[in-house]
Amino acid sequence: MESKTFEIPIGPVHPALKEQIRFTFQVEGERIVGVDIKPGFAHRGIEFMGMHRNLVQVLYLAERICGICSISHPIALIQAVENAAGIEVPPRAQYIRVIVAELERIHSHLLWAGVAAHELGFDTLLHLTWKVREKVLDILEELTGNRVNYAIPIYGGVRRDIAAEQYPRVQDMIRYYRGLFEELCDRFLNDASVEARTRDVGVLEPEEAEELCAVGPTARASGLRKDVRQDWPYLVYGDLGVKAITPEDYGLETRGDVYDRIVVRLLEVGQSLSIIERCLEEMPEGEITSIPKIPALLAQLKKAEGEGIGRHEAPRGEVIHYVRLEAGVEAPVVWKVKAPTYSNLLSWYPMFEDQEIADIPIVAASIDPCICCMDRVHLVRGGRKELVWKEELLKLSWEKTKRIAGHGLRITGANDERA
Amino acid sequence: MKAKDILTALEEALADRLRDSEIRTRTVGVRSPRTIEEVWGRIDREVLLKAVQTLKDLGPLHISIISGRDLGEEIELLYHFTVGFGTEDGEVLVTLRLTVPKSDPVVPSLRGVLPGAQTTEREKIEFLGVEFSGIPDSRHLFLPEDMEVHPWRVDEPELEKFVKRKVKWEERDGEQNL
Repeated sequence: MESKTFEIPIGPVHPALKEQIRFTFQVEGERIVGVDIKPGFAHRGIEFMGMHRNLVQVLYLAERICGICSISHPIALIQAVENAAGIEVPPRAQYIRVIVAELERIHSHLLWAGVAAHELGFDTLLHLTWKVREKVLDILEELTGNRVNYAIPIYGGVRRDIAAEQYPRVQDMIRYYRGLFEELCDRFLNDASVEARTRDVGVLEPEEAEELCAVGPTARASGLRKDVRQDWPYLVYGDLGVKAITPEDYGLETRGDVYDRIVVRLLEVGQSLSIIERCLEEMPEGEITSIPKIPALLAQLKKAEGEGIGRHEAPRGEVIHYVRLEAGVEAPVVWKVKAPTYSNLLSWYPMFEDQEIADIPIVAASIDPCICCMDRVHLVRGGRKELVWKEELLKLSWEKTKRIAGHGLRITGANDERA
Repeated sequence: MKAKDILTALEEALADRLRDSEIRTRTVGVRSPRTIEEVWGRIDREVLLKAVQTLKDLGPLHISIISGRDLGEEIELLYHFTVGFGTEDGEVLVTLRLTVPKSDPVVPSLRGVLPGAQTTEREKIEFLGVEFSGIPDSRHLFLPEDMEVHPWRVDEPELEKFVKRKVKWEERDGEQNL
């Protein structure tokens, strides 16, 4: 029989995806023979906004590029600005930045592991993973005041110190996860159904990973020892001797499939625990910021002239920010943000090749995509090329609420609801 | 990989087409501080592919991003590469800067040397109105296909409308309370 190709659109909004992106699959029977990927549905124009605000405002904006990586983008941005403006950072502040960044990595990897289990239809494992993830979120809340959007880094240091009485609670968390670690690895890596769904699925060959410039766990699971913390030391990562993790470190042969991506992320949770432990031991006493007063900081930044680059290994891979400052201008003249998913986008093409339709959710999830990170401007309505503005969306949302709740309902603003 | 070796290789390959080249340093670390070096340089668009090939021959090459800026008559593009990942402290940031006139904003695509550059090239097409010769896919990536405004250009007449619309919005947003 003659084979016929069909087109299956998935997204921009689809139950198999956590965020808005459109995949258009070409399939022959159950087999995927081609894919086209269209991001941009969550583009908010953050870089454009940033180039019209002062640098302290930009910092808060950078934190909101992504809810999960809410310290990764600020760390890259402050390094770029400190580099451009020549601002020094006290040693203690560097350690605190690393501690919060590694806590974020633990919570992000556990979040991903839960999502991956869910995409495999293994919801018991999702609930288990997300239950244990609460511990690190509690510690983040304890240290920073928030579960996400920690507002910890500021140009020249950090905004909050870690008090002596908080150390035991962090150490308690490290013990808690160490105790769980083997069980977690066992549940994920020795489970027959997880293995059946992930082994040799969504393979990315090392050569492909290299030439498509994949980053983070996606690249490492394909055997590339690529980790910004190791390759290009920044903050105190050089002192800590961080090494990139590949499946070989777990005694496995690297195959570059979804299973390997689970291995790498789980091992990195253990690595982050060790990094935090060492930071707590080695962290010196002292100042936490070199310019404590915000007006003084803004004045210094306004005078600064130059350009700088900041990089950070976010949970999903390399984040890079390029900033250009001009004297007398409060806003950065150029602010370019690159999130990890932006680099991993092209890796999806070889991964989907020759897979089955049922594997689409887990292969899509396996790079740990963060679409809102990658997209940063306006919005469109699917294949119909028209712009939908905020006012229309709000109107639609009001209409829907009215429809559900009946007429006569007083709809208050989001702020009122929270209060 | 050492920054000096990279700079020497670029100088040999590009000769006088490489200008304003320098090595910038920064110190990182607390217990055992070390110096991190970056290579910066300005090149002509005609030698872009040659420069990238030179970098690729030196070690595993990664493109982080292309950033850019509208300078008025010209558009400036900055290619941020890293050379030599995979070894501890072995990666060097290399930034190559080039300018193209707005009347002829064409740059060769890196598709043959480094296919991973396609995402960032497509982004520059929509945001700065740069053209990449030889790029296999030049459709818009993040912006709607029919959006002809290039948001990072300073002389976009349409851009002001976008911004004004937003401001008008915020005023009304405050008034409206059903």
